[in-house]
Amino acid sequence: MSSTETPTLVIPEPQPASPPTLPLRPSLSPRGRARRGTGVTVLVALALAAGALITAFPFAWMLFSSVKPQSESIDYPPKLFADQPTLEYYVRLFTELDFDRYLVNTLIVVLIGGFGLLFMAMAGYAFAKYDFRGKSGLFFLVLATLMIPVQVTMIPTYLILNGMKLTNTLVGIALPTLISGFGIFLFRQFMSTIPTELLEAARLDGASEFRIFATIVLPISKPILAVQAVLAFIGGWNSFLWPLIIASDQNLYTLSVGLALLNQQIAVNPSLQMAAACVQVVPILIVFLIFQRYVVQGFALSGLK
Amino acid sequence: MKSYIKAAAAAATLTALGLAVSGCSTGGGSAAEEGPLTVWIMGDSGANFEELVAPWVEESGTEVEVVAVPWDGIDERLTTAVASGSGPDLLQVGLSKLRTFADAGALMPLDDQLGDHPGLAAENFPDGIAGEASAVNGETVSIPWVSDTRVLFTRTDILAENGIDAPPATWDELRADAKTLAGRGEGQYGYYIPQWDSPLPVFMTWSNGGDIIDADGNVDFDTPEFDAAVDTYTGLYADGSVPTNSDFDQTQGFISGVAPMLISGPYLAKSIADSAPELEGSWTVSPVPAGSGSATSVFAGSNLAVWHNTDQVDQSLELLEYLSEPETQLEWFEINGELPTNVDALADETLLSDPLVQVYAEQLADARILPLVPNWDGGVGADLLTALNSIALNGEDRETAIETLITKSDGVSVN
Amino acid sequence: MSIAKAATKATPYVFVGPAMLLLIAFGVLPLLVALVVSFTDMDISGLANWSNIGFAGTANYERLFADPDFGQAFGNTVFFALIGVPSVVIVSLAVALLLARSNSRFFRALRAFYFIPAITGIVAIALVWGYLYNTQFGLFNWLLSLVGLPPVQWLSDPLLAKFSVAFVAIWRGTGLNIIIFLAALQGVPKEYREAAALDGAGSWRTTWSVVIPLLRFAILFVTVTTVIAWLQFFDEPFVLTDGGPLGATTSMSIFLYKEGFRLNQFGYASAGSVVLFIVIALVTALQLRSRRADVEY
Repeated sequence: MSSTETPTLVIPEPQPASPPTLPLRPSLSPRGRARRGTGVTVLVALALAAGALITAFPFAWMLFSSVKPQSESIDYPPKLFADQPTLEYYVRLFTELDFDRYLVNTLIVVLIGGFGLLFMAMAGYAFAKYDFRGKSGLFFLVLATLMIPVQVTMIPTYLILNGMKLTNTLVGIALPTLISGFGIFLFRQFMSTIPTELLEAARLDGASEFRIFATIVLPISKPILAVQAVLAFIGGWNSFLWPLIIASDQNLYTLSVGLALLNQQIAVNPSLQMAAACVQVVPILIVFLIFQRYVVQGFALSGLK
Repeated sequence: MKSYIKAAAAAATLTALGLAVSGCSTGGGSAAEEGPLTVWIMGDSGANFEELVAPWVEESGTEVEVVAVPWDGIDERLTTAVASGSGPDLLQVGLSKLRTFADAGALMPLDDQLGDHPGLAAENFPDGIAGEASAVNGETVSIPWVSDTRVLFTRTDILAENGIDAPPATWDELRADAKTLAGRGEGQYGYYIPQWDSPLPVFMTWSNGGDIIDADGNVDFDTPEFDAAVDTYTGLYADGSVPTNSDFDQTQGFISGVAPMLISGPYLAKSIADSAPELEGSWTVSPVPAGSGSATSVFAGSNLAVWHNTDQVDQSLELLEYLSEPETQLEWFEINGELPTNVDALADETLLSDPLVQVYAEQLADARILPLVPNWDGGVGADLLTALNSIALNGEDRETAIETLITKSDGVSVN
Repeated sequence: MSIAKAATKATPYVFVGPAMLLLIAFGVLPLLVALVVSFTDMDISGLANWSNIGFAGTANYERLFADPDFGQAFGNTVFFALIGVPSVVIVSLAVALLLARSNSRFFRALRAFYFIPAITGIVAIALVWGYLYNTQFGLFNWLLSLVGLPPVQWLSDPLLAKFSVAFVAIWRGTGLNIIIFLAALQGVPKEYREAAALDGAGSWRTTWSVVIPLLRFAILFVTVTTVIAWLQFFDEPFVLTDGGPLGATTSMSIFLYKEGFRLNQFGYASAGSVVLFIVIALVTALQLRSRRADVEY
């Protein structure tokens, strides 16, 4: 464990997977084991598939509802498929909203989020692999920010941004949520598992600290980077509150705010809103599908031992 | 050393990049700058509003920048604008927020300016909202913009099938009819009370000839008129005439006939026409039922106000005056479907050729705005609903619940 | 040489610097402001003009502890955390262990399905779940009617509404944690994972006594963050019930939001948020403490 821990609040360092003492009993012949294992795997696959369908059902409902004409949207008994499917609401979304502008703004906010990702990785690395004065105090602050309820800190945060003259800028929109204590914590936990010998070896070879970070630590941390990138993307993509408050110019609205404009006070058009919700979710789903390959790639730790 | 310099250089590059991105952002929107008039409009009607003011822009040479603010984020948006002092020049304020923002000093008192702008004078607007009615602490801080009210929607076909030949004209008739209609069978109701609708018990009280504000301006629920309103409200539930689930959908309920009578606003008429065009002719709207006094409804809608520290007072007022003209307001109804507040516009023949609008206009003549106490929605209004719903839905003791309501609203005043 | 040493010493600060500056500016500083505000009577006129703010001493805190609505919100929050946290942790761990059994294309495709709820925006959640739960024409009640059961008031019955909103949050909360567990499972040596993937008593034992202990830091992490999330529970009741019926789903965060932004009682709301922060900090410290004792033992 780290020598700089505070007496009151200690995060146990994740320990490298130490070989357990439990013996693995090869009670069955290898082939029999494999066959029975396959049988169970098929059962598990079926159960997981059923669970997945149930989990994703509300999403499917959203997709199907978005092509229902308004007159069918609240039919009873409910029907999954529309009698007369229509793309009318998608057309309306793209013609009534400044959709292209909101999309560009959203992408910029998401890109700025990339800096946050790098900053969090750097901080997580320092907390995992360096000893320095004030480390435990700073890490305590990181944890403390996890526990802060956002609702009431909103106004002070706004006043700080206003003081920095960052209101009505895309950077101002991205800044308050750029760094999350959650992210630093996650990076720190995973980077602690990187063998220190590896870093020492690089130092002996004369590599600079930043080079070690860029060429050794970051590549090893790909899985956690992927997880965090997906999270940062979701956060930036769905962000509603800060763009709403910070952007006093409609040209800086993001997708969420633009879509919220469709929400009338009381009268609603469920189909239109469902279409809007789909437009917002589908890009995230695509990003996730791209990144999940890296998420499952796994730590390259076994080759390092 | 080397590593430190590299790291510092990397950090500097990042910062520079960050600044470069921030450079992409645009300015504007602050009231302190000269330039276009910034107008905050609620909902998704920003593009329509730009179209509406285009002739004025051309004539005056002043650019107008319209910013549409989602209904979902008004509280946060206005509160932060108050906190930083930088808001728009002109903004739309819902009547329920008027008092709060006037108290915060966010809205410019307009009394001194009204003399130069006859188009903004109180006589241009219905009594329910004009001048004194929407003044805060005796100061005019806003000008009526769009109006909205509640009327009675009835499914005439279903009523006729059950031997009721006309929409009920009084609350007593409504209660009796609702009971008859609820008798159609399991899962059928006669009337629908939205559980979030705080104006309903208030205008029930008004229609009994009473008020929830006493002569000194204090909230007062200890009156026989309010008591009679509670009778009607809880009685409808006691009769089993009203659905008890909070997520009852009024459009679906009305179209399916589950709730063939309900009180709602013009937006419901549009919803019905869009969702169930085949019902055309089998439903109607009429003024809200009368109590022992009048058939008064609530005057809802939005006003326009000038932000307190705008440095473009004259242009703002000129735009306000343009927006208050009957022609402008009629055009707004044409392109955005919101009812005018100008009395001449409300009396316009083309407008009244629509029988629905005729009923709305008639009702607006006998409609009042909710008392301008601080935070109606979150305060007195919420407490009122809690009290009534706890009696009607949870079977709480009526006296206790009303007693709690009176205690909670003690000291709340329109002054 | 000494310069080089100083530079090496500075390295960790360069690494943590940017993130810490941002965290302090947008996390710690606002909290300190809220702490100060909690001792004042700040309302919207105070916000507009700071000369309207008066010192209130501990009045806000006294009022808070005497406020039955705050008591109800506190009780609801505890209730939500008690049903939400175990559900989220157990479901996501179980699904992750099952998903990790195979690295086939099929299993990888399933991950996306389980992750969908986590990426669905809150507006979509309000729409879809509001529809599914609807008493009149919702899908759930229609399914009940197929088997001859009467309609259920999913969001209108005070007790049932608590479970209904919590269920949506569990649905939405598992996706991310499944991913975290899956990532952590990659750190478990291959031979143990393979052993666990086989069937028979040995497989369960290996899972229970080898794999799960190796995941204990991931479990701790997920538990700690899940507890924090549930103590700050806000989104689902906010969009589905607005804290109703009659306050039955009002969590502490919703209470604070309403006091702050609907009633503009910023001093009072700040006091509430300070209390919520302290509660969360205490609960978190307790968890980490007990965990350490566990490790040392």
